[in-house]
Amino acid sequence: MAQAIKSRNILGAIAALTVLLFGGWSGAVIGWLLGTGAAFIACQGKKITSAKTGIRLGVNAGLGLGIWILIASLVQGFLLLPTTGQSALGIIQVLTLGGAGLVVATLSGWLMGAAQGLGPRRQRITVAFLAVILITFPLIDQLADTNWTATVIQILIFALLALGLNIVVGYAGLLDLGYAAFFAIGAYTTGFLSSPQINLEWNFWLVIWIAAAVAAVAGVILGAPTLRLRGDYLAIVTLGFGEIVPVVFRNLTQIQIYEPISKIFASLLGQPKLAICLVGCDRPFNLTGGEAGINPIGRPALPLIGTFQSGKYLPWYYLVLLLVVLSVLMISRLRGSRLGRAWAAIREDELAASAMGINLVQTKLMAFAMGAFFAGFAGAFYGAYISAIFPSVFDFSVSVIVLCMVILGGLGNITGVLLGCVIIMAADRLYLPQLAQVLKSMLNTSVLPNVANPALRDFLATSVDPLQMRLFLFGLTLVVMMIVRPEGLVPNAERQAELQSPDEESLAEVRSL
Amino acid sequence: MKRWQNAIFYLVIVYLVLLLGPVAGLDIPRIITEIAQSPASLVQQLLVGLVNGAIIAIIALGYTLVYGIIELINFAHGDLFMLGAFMSLTVVGAFGIQDGASLQASGLAMLVSLVLSAGVCAGLNVLTERYAYRPLRNASRLAPLISAIGVSFIFINLGLFWGGLRSFFPIMGANAASPKSFPDLLPRIDILEALGIESNIEFTTKDLIVLVVAVVLMVGLQLFVQYTRLGKAMRATAQNREAAKIMGINVDQIIALTFLIGGALAGAAGLLVGLYNNTVVFTMGFTAGLRAFTAAVLGGIGNIIGAMLGGILIGVLSALSDQYLSSRWTNAWVFAVLVLILVFRPGGLLGENVQEKV
Repeated sequence: MAQAIKSRNILGAIAALTVLLFGGWSGAVIGWLLGTGAAFIACQGKKITSAKTGIRLGVNAGLGLGIWILIASLVQGFLLLPTTGQSALGIIQVLTLGGAGLVVATLSGWLMGAAQGLGPRRQRITVAFLAVILITFPLIDQLADTNWTATVIQILIFALLALGLNIVVGYAGLLDLGYAAFFAIGAYTTGFLSSPQINLEWNFWLVIWIAAAVAAVAGVILGAPTLRLRGDYLAIVTLGFGEIVPVVFRNLTQIQIYEPISKIFASLLGQPKLAICLVGCDRPFNLTGGEAGINPIGRPALPLIGTFQSGKYLPWYYLVLLLVVLSVLMISRLRGSRLGRAWAAIREDELAASAMGINLVQTKLMAFAMGAFFAGFAGAFYGAYISAIFPSVFDFSVSVIVLCMVILGGLGNITGVLLGCVIIMAADRLYLPQLAQVLKSMLNTSVLPNVANPALRDFLATSVDPLQMRLFLFGLTLVVMMIVRPEGLVPNAERQAELQSPDEESLAEVRSL
Repeated sequence: MKRWQNAIFYLVIVYLVLLLGPVAGLDIPRIITEIAQSPASLVQQLLVGLVNGAIIAIIALGYTLVYGIIELINFAHGDLFMLGAFMSLTVVGAFGIQDGASLQASGLAMLVSLVLSAGVCAGLNVLTERYAYRPLRNASRLAPLISAIGVSFIFINLGLFWGGLRSFFPIMGANAASPKSFPDLLPRIDILEALGIESNIEFTTKDLIVLVVAVVLMVGLQLFVQYTRLGKAMRATAQNREAAKIMGINVDQIIALTFLIGGALAGAAGLLVGLYNNTVVFTMGFTAGLRAFTAAVLGGIGNIIGAMLGGILIGVLSALSDQYLSSRWTNAWVFAVLVLILVFRPGGLLGENVQEKV
């Protein structure tokens, strides 16, 4: 019971924060999303005999959330807006917005609660609910004028990355700190094959598979030297690769290759013209565009929709959603397969696994290849979506952010990883920028005019910027998660036992599994 | 038969290097002609590499000490060094010293900033150990590593924030993220010229001072670890923590002491880099940290002499690569060295290869 109340308050606080920051109809949208979620959580671990009990729990949860939203709407409309330099809203407007949030949250809770009361079909219904939410989200988003779809597309791109990294780190237990390299390889493959800059413009639907395959091959190539290394050395070598790959992409701007034997003869004979030139003979070949990157990159096209446009998010959203759903299906099937069980075995104990006849080389390489495959997917989609790629996008912090998602959500658990991805990306790309904006206007209108000390004033104006705190927050997440809850928010039972100190209790837990 | 196969394999590798190397600056004929044309610039690069390598070695000592005692790659160490450089910059700025100040004034400023930045870094490192690593000492091996990556990000962000405090420290300049220029405090007298030797090689008192300070720190550390009671306790703890505990050594204190020493060295290195390269930026910890870690691994991680040797080798390698390959590729070459050592000789040059125990 205490747990349920705690999670309800957390959801309520998130909803209230959303309303405070975004205002407008965001209360209704977040009420819809979190109301459904709150009702689902409220019904977890309870015996729900009839739809009635489910509805009671769901409405309770939804109503609790709605009250948070209503109060936040009042605060936002009457108190917050004036301090940021906008005029306060009228009482009717505030009540409409807040009331809409309350009603929507309660209704969503009611619906979800009722669905949870359906007995054995409970799980299928939950998935159907999730599907409906995901499919209608961009439409509702447009209706409510919250403009979250662009961010959600980015969240889904990172969801692909997190799912892939989860194979390497979560399933096979190989800590990969250079995962962004495969993302870069996927993106650059797409760039090479479908950009007028290189004079190749292949169809996106073909290129995305090639990119994923190239990334998988790169996974094998980069994974092969690391096979003999254990734990932390492996992490450092992958980190080295993760640093080398962007450097290579950054610097492949002047390629001119001569056949070496002919070149040596030519220089011995003193006639450099005899050397056979292979690439970039007239002038050095510019493969990657250096810091400026590859731009533009071809976009996907479909018969009825035509070429995807940059400002129109709907087709992009459904495409990346499809990719994520496909990946989730593939990965959850992989997990239970022979290969998936082999990964679990080498993660638990490499020596024992090899003694049981598992081919370590093959299994580890498959983990790298599969993990890189999904990063290649993500890279190809990213390249086409942004329509330009730069080497600076793929630096170490991307690898760490994705690792952060996997660890926050729960190593080796697909639901957890997706949850971690949504939390981190939403905080990073949605809430932090908006918070920065609100704080800035608040400082400019209410605080700065009242500060007399010029040094303090300059400090407030330049250093109070939540966007500058991103790395701090990621770092803090990693440290706190490692100390407080190393198994993540939604733990995987085996992994949990492994990460906690090996006392008798948890060993018994593992044995009973 | 086997030998033929091997020979063909190596020939193919050589061919590939000759074919693809020039793209990354590894054009062997060109390098040979360049060296033949101007041997002095080779010596010059070796000297630059030696001084830079000495600084890298000091940072590498922090990695190697910590790894030797608790087998943790202290990922945050490079960024701690960056914070040390910021601390020195702040102190020098607070003294209000500009380029070409009198020797006494700048000497005092350097001494105070050495003490303060070493002290602050040592304190930070001990706090980090206490709150981010000690709770994880019995957890799985990867947990403290991940925690260290987190600490590293926190430090980087701290550096960014610090660099933005222009309202309190004017020396930080207008932009938080941009490189800050560190006043050129060390005297710059060409030693060879002062001795009356004509040459194209420049070796100034600035290089000499940095080199001497670095060597003094390293020798001091080696003497401390070899000949004092505490050093003995450190070695005992590194060898076998349980046995050391039984012998009455306060293991927690010894580990904290190790972090204290490593942190102080990082702070000192921060000051030295500021004085030598005259620029400080919040991202410099990452690259420097990786170079230093590479140095520690190259020499054999856990081995103090090895870290010094590795640091100098990496410094020389980077300097040569800057000159003869291409400075754009230097980082890639350093990482390539790291990968090659870890793959082919994980024990490093002076370390032993440890067999995995069941």
